[in-house]
Amino acid sequence: MTRTLPDGTVTAAVPAARPADPPALDPPAAQAAALAVRDVRIRDDVNDREIVHGVSFELRPGRAVGIVGESGSGKTLTCRAILGILPAHFAVSGGSIEIVGRDIAELTTPQWTDLRGSTISAVFQDPASYLNPSIKVGAQIAEVIGVKTGLRRRAARRRALELLTAVHLRDPELVYDQYTFELSGGMLQRILIATAIAADPQVLIADEATTALDVTVQAEILDLLADLRERRGLALVVVSHDLAVVAQVCDEVLVMREGEVVEHGSTADVLYHPRHEYTRLLIAEHEQYGLDRYLAGEQRKELDSVH
Amino acid sequence: MAVSTADHAVVADPGVALAAARARRGAGRVLVTLARSVAIFVPVFLVATFLTFALRSLSGLSPAHIQLGESATPDAVARIEHQWGLDRPFLAQYWTWFTNILHGQLGTSWTNGANIAELISNGLAVSLSVVVLALIIGVLFGFGLGTLAAVRRTTWIDRAITGFLTVFSVMPPFVVGIVLVTVFAVGLGWLPAAGYVPASVGTWPWFTHILLPALALSLDPMADVARQLRSGLIAAYQENYVTGAIVRGLSPRRIFLRHVLRNGVGPALSVLGWRFPTLIGGSVVTEWIFGLQGFGRFANDSAQAGDVPAVQGVLVVSIVLVVTFNLIVNIVLGRVTPASQRGV
Repeated sequence: MTRTLPDGTVTAAVPAARPADPPALDPPAAQAAALAVRDVRIRDDVNDREIVHGVSFELRPGRAVGIVGESGSGKTLTCRAILGILPAHFAVSGGSIEIVGRDIAELTTPQWTDLRGSTISAVFQDPASYLNPSIKVGAQIAEVIGVKTGLRRRAARRRALELLTAVHLRDPELVYDQYTFELSGGMLQRILIATAIAADPQVLIADEATTALDVTVQAEILDLLADLRERRGLALVVVSHDLAVVAQVCDEVLVMREGEVVEHGSTADVLYHPRHEYTRLLIAEHEQYGLDRYLAGEQRKELDSVH
Repeated sequence: MAVSTADHAVVADPGVALAAARARRGAGRVLVTLARSVAIFVPVFLVATFLTFALRSLSGLSPAHIQLGESATPDAVARIEHQWGLDRPFLAQYWTWFTNILHGQLGTSWTNGANIAELISNGLAVSLSVVVLALIIGVLFGFGLGTLAAVRRTTWIDRAITGFLTVFSVMPPFVVGIVLVTVFAVGLGWLPAAGYVPASVGTWPWFTHILLPALALSLDPMADVARQLRSGLIAAYQENYVTGAIVRGLSPRRIFLRHVLRNGVGPALSVLGWRFPTLIGGSVVTEWIFGLQGFGRFANDSAQAGDVPAVQGVLVVSIVLVVTFNLIVNIVLGRVTPASQRGV
């Protein structure tokens, strides 16, 4: 995957840490973490096995952390634990999760309902399935606004239309009255993002949010997330199996494998000085199978002659 | 970083254009639903009435034999058949009969010359009272039990409800009817055992007379609705959009009422659509037990007597009832789950 930077150079996404990004370190210590995950372990009660063996990271407002790993590495379970929606018979067996300073282990159901949407929210892969097929998409955004901010119908509708514009949908008035089965995957992901940010949360978790989309749409959605982060101070957790996706928006990267965090550091560090074998493999794969390889025709021939 | 957007559509006056577009969409939906319903209703009605009318030719019955007996002379038979217009060409007879139906006239009985439309509407008042009450009871309790079982799934409440419903659904209405009469009418003497009082005489007497037969008929639809609703709701609760709604911070109550119920109710509604005709059919037995002169009894008596115009009238009314009821169910279904109209 390639990106055109403002100066006109085409670079591969993986090795290109955006120069504008400050490193994740040297924080202004006063700023409290929007999300703090400390040594979280998740256990499957059915076969009594620990699936996630200690994940830790801190996310301050306006920052973005990425979690990379293959399927089954525990990244989605970690997200679900943070959102308090672990599937039946999975449970957090160790560590703690704090959302704006509140330990989620002590939250009651009404407190969770309060917190979700207005403080932390999430978007997922396959956006169509996360929206109700029987309700117009606009009404679903307005519902969140109505419930969370107490705005009346008309005001909620106006606010929902603003959000549809904010996620770069053209013709928001038309989209408002459509159902999920009338819209494309890219549009639905924008709408799902609009529902997620409708109550102005501080943290947004994007779990494989761009995975099912084609490459151009994927790039647009990632741009949108970066844009929201910049303009609203939204803190992001971007989960993907694709290192390139995470590198594009995040300051900090965790690489997970089989429930273990094998690498954790600033995006630039992880990309340029990978310490763990698995991270090196991920980067090497990108270099070997990415589009750039095909663009560099000579190298490709070289490779062919080797085999 | 530059934010890429889809190219902007150029519309001269967005407000007007959009309002017009939305109006078109809304009107289009209603029209499509109506057109589709009519497209189904008309052919079904035509074919069914034609088959119904062909009954006389197929059965070989004649009013002459009913009025004169089997030993009537061919002359007398011919004279009476001429009086009834039965010597005219088949299609001409059909046309007359069909246009009369469209005007609400179902002809006169072969056995006593009475107006069939009147006889049927008398019987229908009784039967519809019972069947509609049975449906109301069935739907109310079915929804309650189905919802409770789904919300408390896999607990003892769910198992108890499912068990009861299974027993209900295998008990034929006539057995239930007899049990109800024995307990509530004969044993406790709370309710009348038989007969019918029109609502014009008094709402309470009318209600007490139809309550027991309606209860007897309600168990089947109740069990069906409850079981379909239970599985529909449980399936809906496993959908991703419920997770989506949780993550957006909607309350469990709102998620159930606005998101789960709406999508889980489809199968229960469709079941009602085909439950209605079987209820009307099943009411024959119940009407016997409770001594009601209903639609089912009338149909049975007419068929026994070989009164072809009466039987045809019964069939036409049944066709209209069943098709209309299904139409209503389809429209409600289309409103509740718009995707169902697209076959999605």
